[in-house]
Amino acid sequence: MDETTKQKLLDVMKSKLNRQLLYYLDVCAKCGACKDACHIYRATGKAELVPSHRADLLRRLYRRHFTSAGRVFPSLYEATDLSDQLLDEMYQAAFTCTGCRRCMVYCPFGIDLTWVIGVEKAMLSAVGKVPEELNMLADAAIEKGNSIDLYREIMQDQIRSLEPELRELTGMPDATIPMGKKGARVLYVALAGTGSILPPAVIFNLAGEDWTLSEFEAANYGYFLGDTARAARIAERIVNEAKELGVEEVVLTECGHAYRVMKHLDEVWSKQKFPFKVLSVFEPWARYLKEGRVKVLRPIAEPATYHDPCQLGRNGGIYEEPREVVKAICTDFRDMTPNREKNWCCGGGGGLVAQTDLEEFRADTGLVKAEQVRATGARIAATPCENCRLQLALLNERYHLGVEVVAVTDLLVRAVAPGALRKPEQEPRETAREQEASA
Amino acid sequence: MHALAYWITGPGVYLAVGVFALGLGYRLYQWRRMAASPMRLGIFPKPPPGAKVLRIVADTLAFPQLAEVNPSLWVAAIVFHVALLGVFVGHLHLLGRFPGQLEEMMTANASLVGGTMGVLWALAALYLLIRRFKTPYKEISTPEDYLLLLLILGAVVMGDHLRFFGHVDVGVYQEYIRSLYAFRPELPAALATSSVKWSFVVHILLANLLLIYLPFSKLVHFIGAFFTNGIRRG
Ligand code: SF4
Ligand code: SF4
Repeated sequence: MDETTKQKLLDVMKSKLNRQLLYYLDVCAKCGACKDACHIYRATGKAELVPSHRADLLRRLYRRHFTSAGRVFPSLYEATDLSDQLLDEMYQAAFTCTGCRRCMVYCPFGIDLTWVIGVEKAMLSAVGKVPEELNMLADAAIEKGNSIDLYREIMQDQIRSLEPELRELTGMPDATIPMGKKGARVLYVALAGTGSILPPAVIFNLAGEDWTLSEFEAANYGYFLGDTARAARIAERIVNEAKELGVEEVVLTECGHAYRVMKHLDEVWSKQKFPFKVLSVFEPWARYLKEGRVKVLRPIAEPATYHDPCQLGRNGGIYEEPREVVKAICTDFRDMTPNREKNWCCGGGGGLVAQTDLEEFRADTGLVKAEQVRATGARIAATPCENCRLQLALLNERYHLGVEVVAVTDLLVRAVAPGALRKPEQEPRETAREQEASA
Repeated sequence: MHALAYWITGPGVYLAVGVFALGLGYRLYQWRRMAASPMRLGIFPKPPPGAKVLRIVADTLAFPQLAEVNPSLWVAAIVFHVALLGVFVGHLHLLGRFPGQLEEMMTANASLVGGTMGVLWALAALYLLIRRFKTPYKEISTPEDYLLLLLILGAVVMGDHLRFFGHVDVGVYQEYIRSLYAFRPELPAALATSSVKWSFVVHILLANLLLIYLPFSKLVHFIGAFFTNGIRRG
């Protein structure tokens, strides 16, 4: 490794040294308890995947360059200098962590290893050593922000094409998907593609909400890269849009990390106080149900469970509203054990699902989750986060769970929309029934 | 031997206490001079406003989360730390008289409680040490982890040896401590001529080393844990 790269990496590290990081680097007792909390270690049993060890790579550098004891007695701490090998190990450690922070819940000191890993990611980002797919997605998101006029037209076409179905589902001939509506009360931010646009549009229309759809997508790949500057730029587009339209509430689609970024992180990153409230889509959903603005027409009888996405749950604080929604529409609700802040990560977070080369790894490390889902005996696994759904679908297939993996809002639409319903994800359930029948 | 014993049990103690105090102060200064991230990065659900401090203290002293995820380690850690506390309180007795009733209680139960604590501590330290030789602990441990446990184990075993084989009166130790207070460190004759002099000197040596090393080791968790647990509940 040449000196300039080395210096660059150390500079990034230095800029990231703050009080938290020092605590975390100094305090960890290497007791190893975090390994029992991590689904990845549980499934693989690999020492290099013990959570504290992922952070230890940075600790070695810290000891070597930033502490006197480590300079004088490097071998005591296995302090090392930067090398290509260390960087490779860091890459492996950082980009195979889902950032679920379950290890933090169980660490006797509450050490946030994802914070340390985040610094590793930032260093790797600085020298371009990041998963290509995440990098491209992050750039594409920023690019889209730059050439919004082009995308706006494409998007508007897409949206107009959704409206016939929207009217059919709601039974409302004047149902629309407004975009760029000034003075709307709610700005709804969806993901790319129409999957997270139509179902919420049904609910908003049924509830008679004064809403408008954001031109931007909620996903933030800069965040997965540990690149706060890029993450803040991606989030900024939505903030500006919300300010321009003068909305009261920005409602984020089900997606966990998008909510976390907007609700808990971006105000600090961008050093401002938002003139609007940030909500997860479940907050209005639960409210509409409670207020009777949306009525359950067809309760769902099949046993259903709910998976807390890490970013929405223990890192975002949304536990109850989605449960309220699922409980309101499903007559046989079965919570997972453990649940809420102790829920197992599905294994797809941290941008892992976007990395195609990690598919096998994800299938293997999802073992713990798969068993947890199976134990509920549910036939429907509802979960908000698109990453979680992709991952659960993979596990469903790999471990023959026989569940239907579905977004909570899709499930809600099924129960409350007066119009006819299409069920695109019928197949897994059919297979399960067939299996049962043949057994 | 005599000179060595003097340097270890005399000036060595001052050095150790000095390095410990200054080192720890420096560590705290290093932590606190750094800017803290303004983000509230705690785990949800957040404790109700009034309960935060209580939770942090409970997390730090009892770490109930560990009991859930790794019960055997939790038991070992609790035994280790309770014994540490017991031994610490026991040693306070050597520093001087306790007020009133307390002094009697301390003397009455000293050998039973002190002995039990000393043995438990050694056992727990041994368990933690042996554990480190197993996969995956072996792979995630650095020499520091072994060194600390060896220092602790050594100091505790020597202490136990003094208690069970020493038959040196507590007054003799108190006399030694008083000589330290007076900056005229000296091993009282009863100790200097006893058969356990060597274990006493080794005990002090290891304790000195431990004190000197502590501020630069992961053992700063005894303070840091309050801060890190604070962030988790924040
Ligand atoms: S549980 Fe906490 S203290 Fe123990 S090794 Fe993991 S991060 Fe370190
Ligand atoms: S954040 Fe989750 S995936 Fe990453 S090390 Fe901790 S438990 Fe494992």
